[in-house]
Amino acid sequence: MTTTSGVSRPPELRQPNVLRHFGQWLRNPGFISASPTLIFFLIGFVGPLIIVLGFSFVPERTFGFHGDWTVENYVHIISESYWISFAWSFGLAAATVVCCLLIAYPVSYGLARIFGRWAAPVMLVLVIPLFVSENVRLFGWYLVLLKGGGILAGSTKFLFGLDTGTLLYSPGTILMGMVYVYLPYTLFPTTLGLSLVPRDQMDAASDLGANRWQIFREVELPIAMPGILIGSLLTFVLAIGAISEAKLLGGANIVVIAHSILHEFTYAQNWPLGSAISMFAIVITGILVILVMRRLDLDRLLGRK
Amino acid sequence: MAEGTPILRIEHVTKQFGKLAAVNDVSLDIVDGEFFTIVGPSGSGKTTLLRMLAGLDKPTTGDVLLRGNRVNDVPANKRPTCMVFQSLALFNHRTVGQNIEFSLKMRGVSRSERRERCKELMKVVRLPEDYYAKGVTKCSGGERQRVALARALASDPDIMFFDEPLSAIDYQLRKHLEVELKDLHRETGKTFIYITHSLEEAMVMSDRIGIMQAGNLIQIGTPDEIYTQPLNKFVSEFMGEVNTLPVVIGADGKFDCAELSAQFIGPAQSNRATSGYLVIRPESMRFLNEPSQADNHVSGSLFNEYAMGSRVQYHVRAGNQMLVVEKLREQAFQGNLNDDVLIGWDVKDSVLVND
Amino acid sequence: MESRSKRWTKSLIIVWTGVIVLFFFVPIAGVIISSFGKSRYFRFPVRSWSTKWYDQTLNANLTENLHITSFYVAGCVALIAVVLGFFGALAFARYDWKGRIFYQRLIMLPIFFPQAVLGLALLLWFTYVGVLPSWEAAVFAHLVWIIPIVTLVISIQVYGFDVSQEEAAFDLGANRLQVFREVTLPALAPGLFSGALFAFLLSWGNFPLSTYTSGADSTVTEWLYTKMSSGYTPMIPTIGALSVYGSIAILFIGYLLLIARRRRNEKRA
Repeated sequence: MTTTSGVSRPPELRQPNVLRHFGQWLRNPGFISASPTLIFFLIGFVGPLIIVLGFSFVPERTFGFHGDWTVENYVHIISESYWISFAWSFGLAAATVVCCLLIAYPVSYGLARIFGRWAAPVMLVLVIPLFVSENVRLFGWYLVLLKGGGILAGSTKFLFGLDTGTLLYSPGTILMGMVYVYLPYTLFPTTLGLSLVPRDQMDAASDLGANRWQIFREVELPIAMPGILIGSLLTFVLAIGAISEAKLLGGANIVVIAHSILHEFTYAQNWPLGSAISMFAIVITGILVILVMRRLDLDRLLGRK
Repeated sequence: MAEGTPILRIEHVTKQFGKLAAVNDVSLDIVDGEFFTIVGPSGSGKTTLLRMLAGLDKPTTGDVLLRGNRVNDVPANKRPTCMVFQSLALFNHRTVGQNIEFSLKMRGVSRSERRERCKELMKVVRLPEDYYAKGVTKCSGGERQRVALARALASDPDIMFFDEPLSAIDYQLRKHLEVELKDLHRETGKTFIYITHSLEEAMVMSDRIGIMQAGNLIQIGTPDEIYTQPLNKFVSEFMGEVNTLPVVIGADGKFDCAELSAQFIGPAQSNRATSGYLVIRPESMRFLNEPSQADNHVSGSLFNEYAMGSRVQYHVRAGNQMLVVEKLREQAFQGNLNDDVLIGWDVKDSVLVND
Repeated sequence: MESRSKRWTKSLIIVWTGVIVLFFFVPIAGVIISSFGKSRYFRFPVRSWSTKWYDQTLNANLTENLHITSFYVAGCVALIAVVLGFFGALAFARYDWKGRIFYQRLIMLPIFFPQAVLGLALLLWFTYVGVLPSWEAAVFAHLVWIIPIVTLVISIQVYGFDVSQEEAAFDLGANRLQVFREVTLPALAPGLFSGALFAFLLSWGNFPLSTYTSGADSTVTEWLYTKMSSGYTPMIPTIGALSVYGSIAILFIGYLLLIARRRRNEKRA
């Protein structure tokens, strides 16, 4: 309870001791509850990142820290053709985000506004694939698109007598696979965001003379934005790390960044170069994440306060 | 209320949040068995004070004494007091019976004994017996109030605290529950300490009322004292719609009101104030045919009238002040809007308060 | 006019959602159909149906081992993630403390991180501190990603929890432990349950983290990836289909349990 106090008493003896304040802070229940996850975060996330950072500065094909540091790995990334992998990964990830948003928005709108009591079952049906390993689902696409005997080709041949080629091994198919795998990550946060838009605010805007497009731009989009942002960010970041889609649906034609990294760590046995490539991906996604995170009010988004 | 031994004594209690004194040097004695209400607007520190009495917060300085023993360091679960929360804080995952029996279970009372006591309590708060196994989320607002009340009563506390439990309830039910609560106070004979932001609610139920403003307890008195002798403008306006006229008292003892460019006769002053506010309740204002019919008079024009059931209220514009006159419906004033009217009041119906 | 165009939009959205649901299930159906094919290589339309691959798969030691590993990993992850996520959620949504906003953002970072890179970083880290890749290491790797998710899931429940319930219990004579056991824990139970369900299923299906950290202890998804990218065997569709049945069964049982709980609460009406 706050109040605008009248006469306040002279302040208590001030504790100038910063350490004492810090000690008190350490003992508050919030920090105590946070500490297990924080410790885990340090060991499981910060530690590994520091190691990757360290490895990216050691000479090629070494497997430990021996005191000599170099930036040649970073020079390699630029001088050799790794930027092509980067371009593929970022291009595919960006395209995935755009496609997912366009596809997911109407469904989210339906879940948040139209389906009513059917929203929960529809949601459940849409969640199920998320819990089936993406490898299994991509294998399913592989079966659908398989040359000659695939479900798609087989059906067209059986029904119309048409011989179609295969759609496998093209950038479009990889994109389709990525959209397929990451759609739920756009869909659910967007639905959450849209369900935050109060119906009466939309009604009020309409009553004040706004048309459908103006309502969308002036009311719906700004309020739903946090959810849309989280969904897009999640999709983008996961898509940067995508590896199975290109491998299973794209064959050897397109080498994405995650695959380059895996390659350096396995066949090429060049950990430092692999680490440097990873650092590139980490820094770029990190900047994006921080930019978006700064705009979010998680209490409002999750707690609906 | 007859004077008895104080069951609860509050001595110079202050609660500091950073530099802010949410409760500032409050002293108060609560008599055993009384219904004491603390009234104040939100942010006045009343909830903070109550939480310190219940043991949920500790005073920064000052002492809380329960039957003469200092209880500052006794936590809430060890005090013989119980609180009904603003949100009611019912355990939503439990049934009505489990909620009411909670404190008994914590004290290790046997199942059958608990159940018996619970049925008793449900009768006291007028809950149907078959509600015992009902989930609390299935209860209506009024029923939830009764469950919270029974739950707090279960451990037979010496003092019951109420943190605005009726604030979220619609008017009609609130009126009904206020009466029930006062009856319950009479039946149980316990000490009730109640906080609310509604002086009207406090008037209905309380033996004594304390008024808080910005962390300070500024006036304590019976409902009648508060009503007839408000300490200052804040208290008088807190009671509802009143006419407050800023006045300066001249050397001749006359009250000059610059805003109405008029002079009034005011109540006799013992403390020789030189300025203040003249407070006149709407029901003490009358329409006059000629100035001599009352001690004081003001002319203005009838701005609007409002039917309020058994009463009718009139707003009269005089100078740049809007004065309020209230009449019983049977004695309604016969006039048209914008008519020039003369209104007035007697000296005995006015009070001079300071700012 | 207005209502007509609205009805059009509504039907379009319903149709579109239907298309998306189909899109989601086409490949899953593909896997299930092919698992019942008799021939060694998949051809569509399927000419003869058989369950012989199921017989073969279910009898293979490999199948059992893969599933046991996956199950151990997912079980351990669910258990640990719920315990840590519970306390994390209290810090996230329950207590008002200096540093909370920073904590909220910090703890989410592993979710917004390319998983392949995270897996590799963990591999380097394990090598550096001398931990050998194994299913236990995979549990740790999964936790890095799953604990933040479980923390979020439980936080949603914590946000809806009226804190004064704890104070009321305390005021009614309960000690700290009793408050926790009688009020906090039961009130948050649904959140803990969905947290565990999420953790189990996400761990069960995870590939990028497992592939770097599990070493010789192969999980179902890892085996599928290896076999799909090199060395096809007709057991792939069958094991894939089995894992689909498993996920759906667990999800369905979880859903039924939640509904049963709600029913039980409603019965008290």
